[in-house]
Amino acid sequence: MGYGRSDSYRVATTQDKDDRSPKKKKGAKDMDDLKKEVPITEHKMSIEEVCRKYQTDIVQGLTNAKAAEYLIRDGPNALTPPPTTPEWVKFCRQLFGGFSVLLWTGAILCFLAYAIQAATEDDPSRSARSHMFDRLSLCLQLYLGIVLTAVVVITGCFSYFQEAKSSKIMESFKNMVPQQALVIREGEKVQINAEEVVGGDLVEVKGGDRIPADIRVVSAHGCKVDNSSLTGESEPQSRSPDCTHDNPLETRNIAFFSTNCVEGTARGIVICTGDNTVMGRIATLTSGLETGKTPIAKEIEHFIHIITGVAVFLGLTFFILAIVLGYSWLEAVIFLIGIIVANVPEGLLATVTVCLTLTAKRMAKKNCLVKNLEAVETLGSTSTICSDKTGTLTQNRMTVAHMWFDNQIHEADTTEDQSGASFDKSSITWISLARVAALCNRAQFKAGQDQLPILKRDVAGDASESALLKCIELSCGSVRAMRDRNKKVAEIPFNSTNKYQLSVHETEDLNDNRYLLVMKGAPERVLECCSTILVQGKEQPLDEELKEAFQNAYMELGGLGERVLGFCHVLLPEDQYPKGFAFDTDDVNFQTKDLCFVGLMSMIDPPRAAVPDAVGKCRSAGIKVIMVTGDHPITAKAIAKGVGIISEGNETVEDIAARLNIPVSQVNPRDAKACVCHGTDLKDLSQDQMDDILRNHTEIVFARTSPQQKLIIVEGCQRLGAIVAVTGDGVNDSPALKKADIGVAMGISGSDVSKQAADMILLDDNFASIVTGVEEGRLIFDNLKKSIAYTLTSNIPEITPFLLFIIVNIPLPLGTITILCIDLGTDMVPAISLAYEAAESDIMKRQPRNPFRDKLVNERLISIAYGQIVTAGFALGGFFAYFVILAENGFLPTTLVGIRLNWDDRSCNDLEDTYGQQWTYEQRKIVEFTCHTAFFVSIVVVQWADVIICKTRRNSVFQQGMRNKILIFGLFEETALAAFLSYCPGMDVALRMYPLKPSWWFCAFPYSFLIFVYDEVRKLLIRRNPGGWVERETYY
Amino acid sequence: MQANKDSDGGWRTFVWNSEKKEFLGRTGSSWLKIFLFYVIFYGCLAGIFIGTIQALLLTLSNYKPTYQDRVAPPGLSHTPRSEKSEIAFSLSDASSYKKYTDAMTKFLKKYDDDKQTDQMKFEDCGGKCQLMPERFLKCRDTVSSTPLPGRGFHTREAWLIVKLNRIVNFSEGGRPPMNNSVEEFLLPKLKPNLIPIFCKNKREEDADKIGEIKFFGLGEGFPLQYYPYYGKLLHPQYLQPLVAIQFNNLTLNEELRIECKVFGENIGYSEKDRYQGRFDVKFNIAS
Repeated sequence: MGYGRSDSYRVATTQDKDDRSPKKKKGAKDMDDLKKEVPITEHKMSIEEVCRKYQTDIVQGLTNAKAAEYLIRDGPNALTPPPTTPEWVKFCRQLFGGFSVLLWTGAILCFLAYAIQAATEDDPSRSARSHMFDRLSLCLQLYLGIVLTAVVVITGCFSYFQEAKSSKIMESFKNMVPQQALVIREGEKVQINAEEVVGGDLVEVKGGDRIPADIRVVSAHGCKVDNSSLTGESEPQSRSPDCTHDNPLETRNIAFFSTNCVEGTARGIVICTGDNTVMGRIATLTSGLETGKTPIAKEIEHFIHIITGVAVFLGLTFFILAIVLGYSWLEAVIFLIGIIVANVPEGLLATVTVCLTLTAKRMAKKNCLVKNLEAVETLGSTSTICSDKTGTLTQNRMTVAHMWFDNQIHEADTTEDQSGASFDKSSITWISLARVAALCNRAQFKAGQDQLPILKRDVAGDASESALLKCIELSCGSVRAMRDRNKKVAEIPFNSTNKYQLSVHETEDLNDNRYLLVMKGAPERVLECCSTILVQGKEQPLDEELKEAFQNAYMELGGLGERVLGFCHVLLPEDQYPKGFAFDTDDVNFQTKDLCFVGLMSMIDPPRAAVPDAVGKCRSAGIKVIMVTGDHPITAKAIAKGVGIISEGNETVEDIAARLNIPVSQVNPRDAKACVCHGTDLKDLSQDQMDDILRNHTEIVFARTSPQQKLIIVEGCQRLGAIVAVTGDGVNDSPALKKADIGVAMGISGSDVSKQAADMILLDDNFASIVTGVEEGRLIFDNLKKSIAYTLTSNIPEITPFLLFIIVNIPLPLGTITILCIDLGTDMVPAISLAYEAAESDIMKRQPRNPFRDKLVNERLISIAYGQIVTAGFALGGFFAYFVILAENGFLPTTLVGIRLNWDDRSCNDLEDTYGQQWTYEQRKIVEFTCHTAFFVSIVVVQWADVIICKTRRNSVFQQGMRNKILIFGLFEETALAAFLSYCPGMDVALRMYPLKPSWWFCAFPYSFLIFVYDEVRKLLIRRNPGGWVERETYY
Repeated sequence: MQANKDSDGGWRTFVWNSEKKEFLGRTGSSWLKIFLFYVIFYGCLAGIFIGTIQALLLTLSNYKPTYQDRVAPPGLSHTPRSEKSEIAFSLSDASSYKKYTDAMTKFLKKYDDDKQTDQMKFEDCGGKCQLMPERFLKCRDTVSSTPLPGRGFHTREAWLIVKLNRIVNFSEGGRPPMNNSVEEFLLPKLKPNLIPIFCKNKREEDADKIGEIKFFGLGEGFPLQYYPYYGKLLHPQYLQPLVAIQFNNLTLNEELRIECKVFGENIGYSEKDRYQGRFDVKFNIAS
């Protein structure tokens, strides 16, 4: 049923699929098959043929035996769940994926080095020197190996449980609707589990049921189905036994699996079950699609490349150096491994995981449920959003938008919370119009909803009538009371020949015995029945002028993509139709001509209130919003204009043609920024033409697209290098959702299949949440950069002591344990706290990052982290503390050079210092470990400055402020931890860390201050000279 | 897409891009600039670092280290050194104990007579010596009373030369330990102004296997008049007193653990540091 517009729009035509399939990628054969025509022919067969085919009976249904036999042959009537990865595979993926590989390699190298050393331990040919070196590095390697393994495993478990939590929420969606089906077997109606329905079963559905399988309708009574889960359009479509279309998807005698029957009853024969249903085929196509890596996964891969490069470079350099210095090759190999491993940022994996988790949590609070942790960032890099219209951009609820009466168009309030402007309700014409709309209307509120706001109430009835009902209820009060006062005497329901609906009522005035005839329907049909028109409460003859006014209004409202209905009434003369007159609706025995035209009302599924703002924000964030819908182009365009997808003043080719009054072919497509592309045109386009459209139009609407075409559009955008987000709710969206870099499904209205395919779910169905997602995603990308820069800076100072140990032969300034204390202890909270850092500038005002140029970690970040801050602060600060302690204990720097061999010789218990004192091995080792502690504390002190430096990339910290409470907590926490590690009794035994004298804490202060000043100056130069040398070389 | 292609096929162009005249993604002048930057940057850093180190050195005294809490109480060290606290050799194989005799010879070189008498440094050393009369004696007696090292190693005798580690301005004894605080066996050895040293078997079961232990030196211990040590600057030629220990009759072909200990008021021992005020050594002499 539908007024003024074709009934069955939006369903994919099978021809499309046929044409596209050869162009589809080489995927598996059955994938191609899935994209082909739906092999349903039953709609063209007669009922008897269908019965014969399934050996069933139109009255008795299947026999139980046959049903059981079919059940065994065809399997249960349920969608095969997408091949779920077993839990252990998921776990292993967390354990061995991405960043963990680096740590695993490190751990394996450690164990390898340990094994080499252990194996050669008793080799008598080795020098004493290598002997004592081994002892030192032997524990080092083993420790590191074990810790690295532990870090990977713990982080793996952590992220595994994080994702398991999200998928549990998914599970709960799945089980929301227990499915039952009413089948007729051996002549008896039985309620069985929908899974047991088999082909040939005779099933009965009634309003409110879910259709248990694809069925060929054999009889129907006012049956209407809501195909929204399949097509995305919630407009109910009627079902009847007649074949109305060659295309099985368009014909009226087939109802599809998992769609809903809204009203009426129908009986049908099951023709497809489970995965063979139309729904099943789309679901299988979806789960068969390959998806690429998430942008953040690519970034992390890139980062691993860089860090491995740096590690191997440093390792090889010092391998060669060690050989030149005369170490044996075995020692050199162990140096090599040691340096490579020292380059592995142990804490970074945990930091990144925690940062992503925190953001995911924050987004979940704002109703964005993230299924895959890595998808958190994807929205931030998104450069194109392909949005479904119905239910995503719109409220998915017909609402009266405009009215035309008194020769004037009035605007109704379409907002969700009735905050919009109202119109003049005092006109008599309006009262008449409201009365007609209320009386000539079969929709009614479902019972027990009196407390709910009117707009939230459920309505039994057709979308347009519900819209009218709500509109009248809102503006004139209870419709039920009005109907009670005006008892209905007769009614002609809508049918497609009349294209109007009519009813006769008693009047409110008890003294008036006349009957009131009200009619609504397609405006042109209604107008034909009228001879007068109500203007300002007065009937006037319908002259040409008023007819033209009517035409204009009708055209205008239609042009807005709205569904227009005309209303008229007449008070039947009492003399012809006295009280008690028997109205015969079959053989109309009363006046249906010369009525009085009252007005027009037009309805639309209005955009959600937050959408225009959200689209605007996306636009200013440089994100292209494309509408991809199955709806009619005019409606799509109207909504697109309404929400700003086509911005004001931008014209399509057709608009330009109409304005200049020239044929469309003469318009240069480049002049038009906007574009409305029809699905049928789309299927004729070559790939290049497609690219051309996507590239040259900034504002695009694709209308009447099939699921396959949605997929093609997404692929087209990705081909142009865009990172594509797709939002959608229907099963028809799910192939595109899956293919997109990030699929965003609707939590309330979305179908299970679409939720399965998506990476993110908007729990409140609100498109505006996407903007939050984009913002959070961009923020986390920036903040991850900061976190990584921060973590990396403490990485190199852990290598330099080792290098000096090898080259200058000084006692080791920083031990493995202290390195681990830094990486996994004091560095963690400050690094994570950077994830809470506020944005430096309006991140929603800049362009999305270019995945090819704007990397998470680039050479500038490495150069800053490794080349500048590190050397300036960390290494020097730490070494200074080291020299201070040794000097104050008697070993001046000059004595230290070359002392290493004796220093680490356990049998030398009378090592002389600069003052001539003699030290036993244990005594000087305590000093050495005190130095390690001091180096560690110095790194903590320099990290104070570093974390403040890393807070911002461009702004001064004085502009940014210190409002990040977690960061301040992190500063105190790392200091407290350092003090604890140094002073807690027992630490000398447990971690070989010793108490520091208070003055040693201050050794690194000048360096801490130095790097702070240096970096402030650097940022100042970046701000002062945008694009200058400093920015090009050091802005990360 | 294009950037993709670049990164795929083009590490060669990355190394040398003839089109843009770029080496490793930078042009010559760009390399020069970044190189200059780092030279200046590191130059400044080095300057600052050296500056702070100089400042540090200014705060230090030339005569005495700032802190001595880690070096005191003094360690007790011996020559020859043990490897993994073991001295093992074979009587029949001269090369197996050569390293021990060599170490002792080398160590005692400093104590040679001629070196000590040379230029009368040890007695006539100007003003400072008068500040510390008596204590500043030659070690000569110690050395002369020590039998030539190495001699014993082939005759079941093993030698250790023991010294108390030097610590600047540290008064080792003050006075010898009180009678009641010292184990009984020490009593006969107690003398005024002497830090006594004593060795015994570490394990009970070795008691009858270690034979006689003889101590040579200035009275079986370290005479207090040689302490304190005033540091390298004031005491450039200081030689600390030595005690030579002779193990006369060690059981062969067995692992024997012997612990030597010094006793004094400021001498301490530590669980972890096995060379602080004592040491233990494992003898393993093969026939």
